[in-house]
Amino acid sequence: MIVGEQKPISEIKQIVAPYKKILILGCGTCVKTCFAGGDDEVAVLASALRLSCMTEGREIEIEEQTIERQCEDEFIQESARAVARNQAILSLACGAGVQAMARRFASMPVLPGVNTTFMGVLEKPGLFTEECSGCGDCKLAVFGGVCPFTRCAKKLINGPCGGSRNGHCEVNSETDCAWHLIIERLKALGQMDNLRVYQPPKNWSASLSSGPRKLTREDHVL
Amino acid sequence: MGQRSKSKVTIFHCINVFADGDALLVDANESAALNFVKLPCSSMVKDVFLLRAFEAGADVVAVLVCAEGACRYVEGNLRAKKRVGWVKALLDEIGLDGRRLALFNVTAGDTLTAVKFIREAHSLAAALGPSPAAGGYRPETVKV
Amino acid sequence: MKTESAGKLQQVLASGGFAVTAECGPPRGADPEIIRKKGELLKGRVDAVNVTDNQTAIVRMSSIAACAHLLAMGIEPVMQMVTRDRNRIALQSDIMGAYSLGIKNILCLSGDHQTFGSQPDALNVFDIDSLNLVRSVLTMREQGQDMSGFELKGAPQMFIGAAANPFADPFDYRVIRLAKKIEAGADFIQTQCVYNMERFKAWMNMASEEGLTEMVHILAGVTPMKSEGMAKYMANRVAGMDVPESLIKRMGSVPKQKAPEEGIKICLETIAELRDIKGVHGIHLMAIEWEDVVAQIVSEAGLLPRP
Repeated sequence: MIVGEQKPISEIKQIVAPYKKILILGCGTCVKTCFAGGDDEVAVLASALRLSCMTEGREIEIEEQTIERQCEDEFIQESARAVARNQAILSLACGAGVQAMARRFASMPVLPGVNTTFMGVLEKPGLFTEECSGCGDCKLAVFGGVCPFTRCAKKLINGPCGGSRNGHCEVNSETDCAWHLIIERLKALGQMDNLRVYQPPKNWSASLSSGPRKLTREDHVL
Repeated sequence: MGQRSKSKVTIFHCINVFADGDALLVDANESAALNFVKLPCSSMVKDVFLLRAFEAGADVVAVLVCAEGACRYVEGNLRAKKRVGWVKALLDEIGLDGRRLALFNVTAGDTLTAVKFIREAHSLAAALGPSPAAGGYRPETVKV
Repeated sequence: MKTESAGKLQQVLASGGFAVTAECGPPRGADPEIIRKKGELLKGRVDAVNVTDNQTAIVRMSSIAACAHLLAMGIEPVMQMVTRDRNRIALQSDIMGAYSLGIKNILCLSGDHQTFGSQPDALNVFDIDSLNLVRSVLTMREQGQDMSGFELKGAPQMFIGAAANPFADPFDYRVIRLAKKIEAGADFIQTQCVYNMERFKAWMNMASEEGLTEMVHILAGVTPMKSEGMAKYMANRVAGMDVPESLIKRMGSVPKQKAPEEGIKICLETIAELRDIKGVHGIHLMAIEWEDVVAQIVSEAGLLPRP
């Protein structure tokens, strides 16, 4: 899923400051799962903003709605009526959703309420971890299912650096050293020989380094 | 803002702690305006309910939950505790003062302690004064 | 590998001698005098001097420039190059530039993460890793080609070094890593500084069993401790360092003013032991910000005069 974190309320207040009537629009997919922007979070944020404005004697009217996803027109259009009633949209979707909304409602300010961070998984209740950085050229088969481009802070592909200590990364002692994980995994799989193979320089041309990417499926275009 | 002679306290409680709040209080002249909200388990208290209680004008919101380790649904009261902690921090951030939200553990059926905590919530309301949000909109002093 | 234009470090190692290298960090500014002063303290006492590359991710005068200043005063540099800050385009470019200036030795590293340094907000690069760098320097030298396969007009003939850390985890993997670096093209290895002699010997044994000590020149890292505080700091705060409790105690057992002396003693004992280990072809003296002690150590270790 895409993981994000709701912006601090002080920042959100600054962002919506110019507006008296806003729609807080949630998304029911990724951001709901990571408690950043689903229907519950929309309700809490709306209430908190109203309370905050009340303490300042500031006028604000907040409408609340959540749609299944903000990255597809099929769902975006369900918000059209609510959008039309307001001066601005505070979107709690990921950055992609915010931009999709902005594309669709071009003359309406669409403001982000969430800081989108990474592609990851729910490792255990309440803990989300970054797993994939979308390099476009997946080598997980070589690395025993652990991605060094994402999970090694130095994107090393030929083994760990000298800073790996007790299975943890030199950058953050609470972060697992990806290479420690790779080695353990390859040991368990009986594939330690993979470690001896020289990995040549990564081809980054399939990644964001080449500019924003597109995917077209001709078989789905009429 | 008009004069308010009674501070307003909302009590969320698990029905396993006590079933009926109004039946608890012997002294009808207690100056607090009390609102009781029953829950089948304290874990059913969502963050937004607590915030809406403040929006509705509460000066203090208290959440009464079962003693730790004694939740009939095992971890309901622990979830309530975590949520209350989270909302308290949010209240601090928006200038409402997190102390206005409090959680109390009560052994099931111990109505004396429940009443003690309810009174504590009321004293807290008196001590902290009216909620800064309780006045509602004041169009003449709109700030952006 | 052509040896007519080989530098001193390469010659000493090729002839079976015991090499001595030291290290110096460029200044945090553009004043070349600082480098020259450090150079004066090291000149004639060592075979070559490593120049660090924005070490600990703290912005300093570039390694290539500082190397050029040392060259100008007759000192042979080892240019350290990290992959943290530069992509393959810039790295190859600097290798060619360095060789054109007369720099003949390179140490290929990944580099400390930028979060430790003076610009933690910076975007890092890590386009390629240290092994990729070793391989590309080898390709330039042996095939006269850059990473795109282009035939270079003047192929740098660098003597290639890589780092090894016998004290980092996981231990059993460290020798596989050494083998990989050698296979990628490393001519010499400089290790992290040795305090835990047992662990170092164990690593050397494993390396020797795989025949690696015959394939590469290993220079063991040595750093004199200045104080008990420094010993504790290295033990607890520096990743990949193994400082035995006994050494920390020893540093703490002498009065503070005597601590540097004790540190030098330990250093000399370490060097003596290292000289007896088969496969150790030299030492790499990292007396960071204590360059004036290098002369004393090299002399008292009986390693002067240099060939």
